[in-house]
Amino acid sequence: MEGARRRKVPAMLDNPVARLRYRTIDLVTVVMLGVAVGVVFWGWDQLYHVLSGAAAFAFPPSKGIFGGAWLLGGLLGGLIVRKPGAALLTEVVASSVEALLGNGWGFTNVISGAIQGAGAELVLALFLYRRFGPVVAMLAGTVAAAGEALYEWAVYYPEWALGYRLAHLGFFGVSGALVAGLGGWAVVRSLARTGALDAFGPGREHHDRAAARLR
Amino acid sequence: MTGVLARVNPLVLIAVSLLALVASLGIRDLTGAVITLGGYLVAGVILLPARSGPPARFAAVAAGALSVAYSSWLLGGRHLEAAVVAGLRIVVLALPGAAVAPLVDPAVLAGQLGQRLRLPHRFAVSLAAALHRFDQLGRTWHELARARRARGSGPGRGPVSRARYAASITFALLVATLRDATGLAVAMDARGFARARTRSWAEPAPWTRADTAVLLAGVALAAVPHAVGALFVR
Repeated sequence: MEGARRRKVPAMLDNPVARLRYRTIDLVTVVMLGVAVGVVFWGWDQLYHVLSGAAAFAFPPSKGIFGGAWLLGGLLGGLIVRKPGAALLTEVVASSVEALLGNGWGFTNVISGAIQGAGAELVLALFLYRRFGPVVAMLAGTVAAAGEALYEWAVYYPEWALGYRLAHLGFFGVSGALVAGLGGWAVVRSLARTGALDAFGPGREHHDRAAARLR
Repeated sequence: MTGVLARVNPLVLIAVSLLALVASLGIRDLTGAVITLGGYLVAGVILLPARSGPPARFAAVAAGALSVAYSSWLLGGRHLEAAVVAGLRIVVLALPGAAVAPLVDPAVLAGQLGQRLRLPHRFAVSLAAALHRFDQLGRTWHELARARRARGSGPGRGPVSRARYAASITFALLVATLRDATGLAVAMDARGFARARTRSWAEPAPWTRADTAVLLAGVALAAVPHAVGALFVR
């Protein structure tokens, strides 16, 4: 790539109102992605029970390492649609659908979903919905994981000694950064390669990269 | 038994389930935990219909509660009573939602979100459309699985092979979903969805007396552990 030359942003994308306003396709994608991820969450639930059960008997705080997958809804929604609220909405819809299908946590996992989505949303907002690279994605995953870990301390594990809670936070944070952050970023890149994201930022960037390689 | 919960508003079912968090946070000791759980169980027996959904969901609640109880015992100084309370707290938190989840009709819920809670109508309608496509997701999954089997790329025996298979179908499902969303959005915009000023709804979203009664019962149940805590001050 002849990197140094900065690509000019199209005028429509530079207009802050147009950049942040939801088109129909943004809204429909957020909710449909939320429903699909919710179904995947529900499938992951079955496996998660076994894995986290095994982790709980070995060293309970280590079950945080399996928690990162729960944050993927927010990361995918936020990284694909790139509008304010997309991460939060996707994660809330996904956790609601998971609860509707039936899981071991009832509808209170919608609260978890809202906290996780808000965590990812916060980081994307701090970067003014302009940066969606791997570092930002990892940050978003970490903050989402930290929010969820604090919620779990208060609601699930108030009896744990502080050291163990911090270990839980550490495991969860690493999982959030790698599985949700880096993993979510990689999934979005792969999705862009299939052409399914052509109406969104990641799809346009994929075609820009492909064009730059041809040149 | 009476099956009242099968007829109430899905918003109320979800509100009662969320209020269980308030109840769970109010549990301080074994007395409070047992009385609160007893209250929820009695309410459940009276209000739930006879066959309300798969019994396996209660096993999932029990598994979560046992795991939390065990870890609280192990990491919280090995106090048996505190561990039991921690486990019961999870049962109180999760049981109401797990019990009523199969009774929530997603289409009715979307209508209520738009008309009763007055969420932005573009969001409520999109959500209704997405939830209608729910069955489509199951069909797509089976199609993807059949296509893979026909090409001889089904899962092997080992866990790694199964995980790769599940990941590959999940990815294909996401691609199918995103393509569907693009098509659906174009169809909706072709019918003037983006610029619609007035919105009509297919179904009315009524609020009945039973809804109010069940909501009040949910608030009362959530207050039980706080009342117990206030009455039996140690």
